[in-house]
Parts: sequence; structure tokens; C-alpha cells
Amino acid sequence: MDTIVVKNLKKEYKIAQKEKGLAGAVKNLFVRKYEILRAVDDISFTIPKGEITAFIGPNGAGKSTTVKMMSGILVPTSGDILINGRNPQKDRVHVVQDLGVVFGQRTQLNWDLRLGESFEMMRHIYKIPKAMYEENLKVMDDILGIEEIINIPVRQLSLGQRMRGDLVAAMLHSPSVLFLDEPTIGLDVEGKYAIRKFIKEINRVKGTTIILTTHDLGDIEELCKRLIIINKGKIVEDGPLEELVNRIAPNRNLVVEYYDENYVEHEQAKIINVEGNIVTYQFSKKEITGAGLICDISDRAKIKDATIKEVKIDDIIRIAYRG
Amino acid sequence: MSNKSAYSFIYKMRIQKALAYRFDVFANIIFQCIAMFATAFFWKAIYSGYDSVQGAGVYDMLTYTVISAVMSILFVTTVEFKLMESVKKGTVAMDMLKPVPLFSIYFFEDLGNITSLFFINGLPILLIGSLFIGMPLPADGVSAALFFVSLLMSFFINWFFAALFSLLSFVTINMSPLIQVKKHILRLLSGSIIPVWFFPEWAQGILGALPFVYIYQLPLDLYIGRYTLQTAMPKLTIQLVWLVILSGSFYAAEKSMTKKVMVQGG
Ligand SMILES: Nc1ncnc2c1ncn2[C@@H]1O[C@H](COP(=O)(O)OP(=O)(O)O)[C@@H](O)[C@H]1O
Ligand SMILES: [Mg+2]
Repeated sequence: MDTIVVKNLKKEYKIAQKEKGLAGAVKNLFVRKYEILRAVDDISFTIPKGEITAFIGPNGAGKSTTVKMMSGILVPTSGDILINGRNPQKDRVHVVQDLGVVFGQRTQLNWDLRLGESFEMMRHIYKIPKAMYEENLKVMDDILGIEEIINIPVRQLSLGQRMRGDLVAAMLHSPSVLFLDEPTIGLDVEGKYAIRKFIKEINRVKGTTIILTTHDLGDIEELCKRLIIINKGKIVEDGPLEELVNRIAPNRNLVVEYYDENYVEHEQAKIINVEGNIVTYQFSKKEITGAGLICDISDRAKIKDATIKEVKIDDIIRIAYRG
Repeated sequence: MSNKSAYSFIYKMRIQKALAYRFDVFANIIFQCIAMFATAFFWKAIYSGYDSVQGAGVYDMLTYTVISAVMSILFVTTVEFKLMESVKKGTVAMDMLKPVPLFSIYFFEDLGNITSLFFINGLPILLIGSLFIGMPLPADGVSAALFFVSLLMSFFINWFFAALFSLLSFVTINMSPLIQVKKHILRLLSGSIIPVWFFPEWAQGILGALPFVYIYQLPLDLYIGRYTLQTAMPKLTIQLVWLVILSGSFYAAEKSMTKKVMVQGG
């Protein structure tokens, strides 16, 4: 059974149209015109147990809206969601017991308390058995080094520390499903590294099914086999990153440096640039591998150096956004 | 584990936190005492040359003043600020859907806060008032008993009113000045400083129809013995009706707000 099933999910927001100026302000008090904004427009996908999936898409694409509906805090306009076979709106009490959610921009920790006290509060609110709580805290301390910040008041934590705290808080009750909405937003290199390590470890050790939304392509390359690209409320791509890259950019460039200006041609590669003794070949990954091509060329001529230029993920994503 | 364990944790945690703000404690005692002394001097000045005004003697009014100051400690609420923060932070949808009801959490936070405030603020104020203004004793045993019954209802009326008021956070952008205005209007209209019976007839009529006098004035009147058991009963009944109305409105409004947040997004 798939852990997460989303079918024909739609969300429309009603937005009050405000008229400008003083007369408009008075008018607004009596008549309100509404505009409908379709933030999520008929999306469907399923996610098997233990998979890490990334949602990416430009700002306003509908990622957070989707995550909110899957977490049960926002009612869909139409469509179905099942998390471990249960509907998060109708059966929220059961669903949250097996679900952790982190919104990167909004902390769920209690501002007035120390980090450790905030965890204790979670323990009581989510009714987590003490042994499980302590075991989880220990496991996560090993990954994130929580012990050193446990006595700091939440309002004094740096963004990176707070994010670590939020991740721990979301996992204290051992949920089998974890939603992370922009978990690496605004973090420095060190912070991102810690969060990625946490996601990988938790997925490996506990088999947690994870969905994360991100703008950071590093997150995707390091963490996810599967990518769902959303734009304007619709899914435009869904599949493994590698597949997407190969489909959108099936060609690679090979740059060969010769000892002199005598270069060779190859039937499965097109020469697209020649600059003195440096020649750029373009080839299709479907027809020949990079290694094969280098082998063939070095059989026919003496070469000094050869590098395969990988495509930039940024470019791929940009092309994918355009649809 | 039931919700009780969460509530008792929250309660104890709040007591502990409130005790930690030592500077606030002294500043608050001093501020409250200044207000209490000013009111006491005001009554002494008014009463010079009179034994009784509106059926109350100067001693009654001094008692009224001291007990009112102590009561104001019990009526401190933070629920408005808490909800405002949650709405501002954008976590309110998550908060409202925790396994433990959000407003129950706020209630126990307030209860913990008030418990420690009572010991570190209320008792010192009572002591200072007793020493320098006059021992604030109840009129008699029955008055004292009626006072405690009424005070309990006052406490809940005050809290539910604050909770109901806090829901304005969902419709207004600038909540904090409103909270301050509410606080001062409530103290003025509830007879906490000047009992309503000193107001002109028409004002008494209006204030009597509002719930505020049932927060401060009724228990205070009972304390200084302005009612007998018989005459107190209708008043306590009206107080109970207000409690039911306010708590009922709060539950209804909270339910509809939760629904709205879940449809429109937090
Ligand atoms: N509570 C809301 N009320 C009205 N419109 C909203 C609300 N939340 C999001 N939107 C709109 O819905 C669209 C999708 O937003 P969101 O899901 O936050 O996108 P993303 O997370 O992909 O950046 C945007 O156009 C946004 O302005
Ligand atoms: Mg978002």
C-alpha cells in the first residue's frame, strides 16, 4: 500500500478585492467582491513507503498549499488525500499521531521556553511515552547535536539552531511520515549540511517517508530520487531526477584537449567547437557513453585531457518550469 | 496519558516562568500600590465630613479598594497576546489542530501565571494595603461565602471575555492597542475603581445591563455586605447567566473561526 495517495486535489482561495482610496475603503465595509484563486489545480500522485520526494516549483506554485492540505490544516476544495490510508481532515487525530510537519519559515517551538522545555511540552501534548521520547532525543542528538543548545531559550536560537530544534520536535513522536516545507530556507552551508544529514539518516534508520519542498537544488541532488515539479498549481514533471535530466537534456558535451591541432572525428558525436587544440564534441547519452567516446577517440589520436561537461540542474529545472 | 498530564505540565511550567521575571514583580507591586493608595486617598477626601455615601462608609470603600487591587491580579489574562502571536507567526492553524485544544492550553497557562502572581504580587499588595490603608475584613461570614462564590464566576467571566476578545486577532491587523483599550475600559466599566452606584442613574442602568459589573463590582459589593443572602441570589443568578452567555459565545465563535482558518488558510 502506498503511504501517501493524493487524487485530483484542488484548492481555491477566495480573495477579497479591496478598492483603493477613502471612498473605496468605505465601500469595502459594505460590499465585498471576491476573486477566486486556484492555488492547486488537480494534482495527483502516490508515494510509497520510505521514499524521499522533493516538491519544487517557483514561488506561488502551490507547494505549501499542498503540504498544508496533506497535513490536515487546510481543507481542500475537492479531491482526496490518504496518509497511511486515512484522511487527514476527517481523521486528523489519528493522522497526526503518525505525521510530523515542519514549516521552515514558522517555528512550532514555544518562544517563551527553553528548547528542552519546549520538547517536554510536545511530549505532554502529543502524549509521547517517556522511554520513546528519550530514545528519540538521543538518536537525534547523535545526528544534530541537540544537547549543546537544549538549554537556550527558543527566542535566542539562531535560524539554523531553531531549524534543528523544529526537526527534532517534529520527530519526537516517531511519525512514519514527515513533511518539510522549505527546511533549508535561509540557512548557511553548515546549517544546510546538518539538515540534509538529518533527513538522510532519519530516512535510513527509521524508514521515514519524507516529502520536502525546496528551492535548493543541492537538497534535491543529495536527497531525492524522485522529483515532483509544480508550476501554477499543476504537476509538470514527476519522476527520478536522472530521468528528467536525460529527457530534457539528452546531450552531453565532451571537451578534448589534443597535443596539436590534429583532431579526429567520431560518427556518434558532433563537433560543435574547435579552438586550437581544444575540441568540443556533443553526443547523445542514448547512443554512446562518455567513457566509450573517450576510449574511441584516444584509440585514434593521442589526447592530453578529456572532460565531460555535466548539464546544470538549474538549467534543467528552468526548462521544466516553462513546461 | 490524558490531557490532564499536559495541563498540569503547562500549569507548573507557567508558575515557574512567572517566578523568573523578578523585575516585573517589583515594578508591578509598586505600580499597583500607587494606584491603590491614590484611590484610598480619593475616598478619604470624598468622605471627609460624611459618615456614609450611598449606604457605604469610608471603611467599606477602603476595603473595596484593597480587595479590588488584589482581585485585579487574579484577572490578569495573557490569552489575547498568545493568540495574537500565534496568528502573527502564522502557526495558528497548526496550533489550533494540536491534539490538546489550544484554548485549554492558554487557560492553564493563565492559571499558572495567576497562581504565581497571586503569591508574588497579590499577597504583598494585600499586606501593604492592610498595614497602611486598613484591614480589609469582610462584613460577615455570609458575605465572605457569597464573595467567594461570586469571585469564582467572575474569574471565568473575565477569562471567557478575554478569550472571546482574543478572536479579534483573526480580523484585525493591529491587535495590541485594542488589548490595552479593552483592559482599561473593563476596569472602568466594571466598578473596580469607582463602584457603579456612584454613577448617575442612567449610567447605572446601562452598566447594569453589561457583563462588566459582574466581574468586579458584584463580588466586591458582596464582600462589604451590601447584600443579604436573599437579595444576593437574583444577582448571582444574573452573573451565572452572563457566564453561560460568554462561555457559549466563545465556544461558538472559536468553532467558526477554526473552520474559517481551515478553509482560508492561517
Ligand atoms: N491563505 C491564503 N489566502 C489566499 N491566497 C493564498 C493563501 N495562501 C496562499 N495563497 C496563494 O496561493 C498561491 C500558492 O501559494 P503557496 O502554496 O504558498 O505557494 P508556494 O509554497 O509554492 O510558494 C499563491 O498565489 C499564494 O499567493
Ligand atoms: Mg511555500
